[in-house]
Amino acid sequence: MAEDIQAKLEKYRTAPFDARFPNQNQTRNCWSNYLDYHRCQKALDAKGVDTAPCDWYKRVYKSLCPISWIQKWDDQREEGTFPGKI
Amino acid sequence: RKCLIVILHQLIPLFIFIGGGATMSALYLGRLALRNPDVSWDRKNNPEPWNNLEPTQQYKLFKVNMDYSKLKKNGPDF
Repeated sequence: MAEDIQAKLEKYRTAPFDARFPNQNQTRNCWSNYLDYHRCQKALDAKGVDTAPCDWYKRVYKSLCPISWIQKWDDQREEGTFPGKI
Repeated sequence: RKCLIVILHQLIPLFIFIGGGATMSALYLGRLALRNPDVSWDRKNNPEPWNNLEPTQQYKLFKVNMDYSKLKKNGPDF
């Protein structure tokens, strides 16, 4: 499983098609991957396992999300005002 | 001074088309309300409705050049 992810990460070009977000508006896709990355980090940290598989979500949200959104959400997480559930 | 039956009888095609249009609109709104992966009626039990879609499930009505059966879940589980 970890080897699959490594292989996928090495072949990564851009965010692949996601059937959950088939339309032009990919806002939810960006939001979902941002949340998934931080949830994955939190879950794998709690288990004490290597968090490298979470990097998939990070690559996807970095491809999809505008940088200003990422900065805003990172600031909100630092302050504790982030509206999503992580 | 035609009687009511004659007038209604001649308006039947109108009722068919208007009724058909209204039904189709209502059905589409119903599909949006109940099936759209962005809609959640019960926020407590269904907070992220888009995650209820399988990776191979097609929501769009028509597809062009897209083979849904070949898709897999992208990210790792945790």
